[in-house]
Formats: sequence, structure tokens, C-alpha cells
Amino acid sequence: MLRKLLISFWLLSLPALAWADSQWALEQSTLTYHVSHPLHQFDGVSHAAKGKGICREGECNFLIAAPVKSFDSGDSNRDLHMLQVTRGAEFPLVTVRTRLPESATTSATINLDLEVQFAGQTFEYKQVPFKRSVQGSETRIRGTIPVKLTDFKIDPPTLLTMPIKNEIPVRVDLSWGPIR
Amino acid sequence: MLANIARRSRTCLAGLAGALLIIIWAPSLMAEVMGELTGTVTDPAGTPVAFAFVTTTNVETGRALPAATGMDGIFRFTLPSGNYRIKFESRDFETQEIPEAVVSASSRVIENCVLEAVAQTQSNITSDPAQKTAPSPSGKPAEPSLEDLGITPSQAKGNAREQALLDRRSHMLKIHQRLGLITIAPLGATLITSAFAGGRETSRASRDAHAALGTATVGMYLSTAYFAIRAPRVPGTKTRGPIRLHKTLAWIHGPGMILTPILGEMAFAQKSRGERVHGIASAHGPVAIVTAGAFGLAVVSVSFKF
Repeated sequence: MLRKLLISFWLLSLPALAWADSQWALEQSTLTYHVSHPLHQFDGVSHAAKGKGICREGECNFLIAAPVKSFDSGDSNRDLHMLQVTRGAEFPLVTVRTRLPESATTSATINLDLEVQFAGQTFEYKQVPFKRSVQGSETRIRGTIPVKLTDFKIDPPTLLTMPIKNEIPVRVDLSWGPIR
Repeated sequence: MLANIARRSRTCLAGLAGALLIIIWAPSLMAEVMGELTGTVTDPAGTPVAFAFVTTTNVETGRALPAATGMDGIFRFTLPSGNYRIKFESRDFETQEIPEAVVSASSRVIENCVLEAVAQTQSNITSDPAQKTAPSPSGKPAEPSLEDLGITPSQAKGNAREQALLDRRSHMLKIHQRLGLITIAPLGATLITSAFAGGRETSRASRDAHAALGTATVGMYLSTAYFAIRAPRVPGTKTRGPIRLHKTLAWIHGPGMILTPILGEMAFAQKSRGERVHGIASAHGPVAIVTAGAFGLAVVSVSFKF
């Protein structure tokens, strides 16, 4: 009788083991936007992103947020202008949400659906490929989000009356570590 | 002699009047039609609800602007005139919405809100995806929130005043940039006509043309400088990058643009008397070249990446 009870308990506990909760914290991050202008090419970089992932019942939800102000292009005047056109004072954060099956977190290439909130608008990028590599306890995710200014209803800023390109791809390099 | 002075004065006055018109007219371009939307969020007992999320959405443009109430339950927006939908959200309270609030220029609209407590079995879901915490069957949130990242509501809250400051700054600097580019035309023409104004065999007409173009250049330059000087500063910003060179060069072309016409006037008078340009007036040409060079470099410094 006791043996049957033990086996039953073990069988019932299997799903719970399979869906063991885990949490991830963003340990290091580099977000880089690239701007093209007929006279200029420049990058704006932020290392100030914060992020967390919660895996529960076979599904993982991740949230990453970075202050718009934290992007540095090496020119204070340009950064202030970018802050103005992206409504960075009204909407101080850029946030990215994604949801994926826990099983997908172990693949070398992960295709993610991203929900990006920026400049008071929300836009979804479907199936954005990211490379995943593991270094010790750290999991590194790298990829490029094909952001366009028009996705967020931002008018392209101009220099010498020439507008920048609508495409501002954002390179993402994130190192995640488990929360113990 | 007096007739000459009168004619030169008319030329200079025409140039300065043009510049003055630009200075007077351009700020009107910046006039923004703003109004204030404010109110207090309370619970049914009249107690202020602190840190409630208040989102205004412009009905025409769809542009949303979030804010949070203070400890006193008060929220405040400075908005362009238009029709707005207002949404009130707070933990443990039902979400409420005011479908239409009309904000008009230079007016104050007050929209108070009383939030009803949510039923205990009902979960709180905010409309902002960055804030939502969808509960799992176990009752624990499965999605991380901004609070989980250590971001407080005040850090996530927008600042309409700061945005208005940035808008004003960018607007003025755009005018500064355009006027600076336009200034290149009379500046170049002044330099070209200098070849016909400074030699031994020059006519009065060529000197007059050079002087008129020079006056127009100075007028345009002063207008350009006005918009850079009057553009609001953003507190806590440290100047970095090529803009430093652009600002430093102003210390060369700024005094140069004042000195050049003074020396030019002296040279003009000497030439009009049939004298060879001499003394300090002979520095007019070199000072003008250095000034034009510094101005050109200032334009290039922010136009190309080195």
C-alpha cells in the first residue's frame, strides 16, 4: 500500500518537475541603434538596460527596459535631438517583451516575437532571429531588431535638410544569468 | 560726403531691417498651442489614490501620454489643444475611462476621477503591456513587470514639461541651422565681390555692392546666432562630440562678424577719400577671411563625421 502511494506521488510530481519555475536576470547588455544619413553614419549605444525572465509551466516571459536617455552617440547635441524626436521625455523607457516556450530557450537559434514599446507606440516584430550561446552560467543572446522609424510614427530627423534613413536597426547583445 | 554717408546708411539699414524682421517673425513659428489638463484621483471615500496611472490619448492622432498621480492623488498634463481620452488605472481598483475631454489653448481643464475598488476575485490587468502582470493558475504573476526590474513609477513617468523644452530647443536649433546655411550665400557673395572692392581701380558701385552684401551677411549671421543663444539649455547635459568644436569656433567668427564691418567701414571711408587703405583698416580683409573660414568650419563640423 505504501509503495503504491509513493509511486502515485512520484507520478503526480513529474509535471511539476518538468515545469520547474526558473527566473533569469539580465546581467550585461549592449543595445546599439545604427543611423544612416547621406553625410553621416553613427551608432548610439546603451548599456543601461534591465531585464528579467520568468519561466513557469513550460512558458517563459521576458521583459527588457532601457531608458531612452541612456543611448550615447558620442555627441550630446545629436543625443538631445534624438531624445526630442523620439519623445524620450514623454516616454522615458523603451521596453521589449517576448514570450517563448521554455523548450525553445535551449536552441542555438531562437526566433522571437517581440513587442516593442517606444515613443508612445507599440509595434510587434515577428520571428526575429537571435543567436544563443552559453558561457558558464551565462546565456548570451545576440541579434538585430529591424526597427523602422515609421513603426513608431517618428518623423525622420534631418540634417542639412536631408532626412536620415527610415531603417534604424538595433543590435542586441544580452547576457542572462539564472536567479538563484 | 554727407550724401555718401546717407546712401550707405540706407543700405545698412535695409540689411539690418531685413535681419530684424527675421528675428521678430521667426519666434512666431514656435508658438505652440498648449493647455493644461489636471485632476485628482480618489477612492469612493475621497482618499487620494497615489501612483495611479493616468493615460491621455489624443483621439485624432492616437498619441498616448502616460503619467502617474502624486501622493496627493493629483495628476497634471500640459497638452496641445485637442480631444483626449483619459484612462485611470491603479492596483486594487477598477480601470476607469473618460471618453472625451477637450483641451484648448491656454486653458485649464479639470477632470477628477473616483476609482471603485475591484472585486477580490477579479485580477488587476492594466492596459499598458509594460505594466501588466498576468497571473498564472497558481496565482503568481508569470510576466515580469517594470517594478520587478527595479523601475519605479516615477522613473517610468513621462515629463511633458521636459518634452516641451526639448521641442522648443530643437525647433530653435532647426531655424539656427537653416539660417546658418542661408547665410553662406551672402557670405560667399561678399567674399567674391571683395575682389572688385579692394583693389586700386575699383568703382564706387562695386564697393557699395560689397558693403550691402556684407551688411546682409552680418544681419543674417546675427539672426542665426540669436536662435543658438536663445535655444533653451537642457539641465544636466554635458557637451560632448563635434558640437564642442562648433561652439568653440563661435568665439572666432562671433567677434570677427562684429570687427569685420567696423574695419570695412573704415576701409570704405579711406577708399572713398581716394586714399590707399591703411592703418588698422588694412586688417579688414584678413579678419574677414579668418571669420569666413571659422564660420565655414563651424558648418562643416556638424555636417560631416570626421
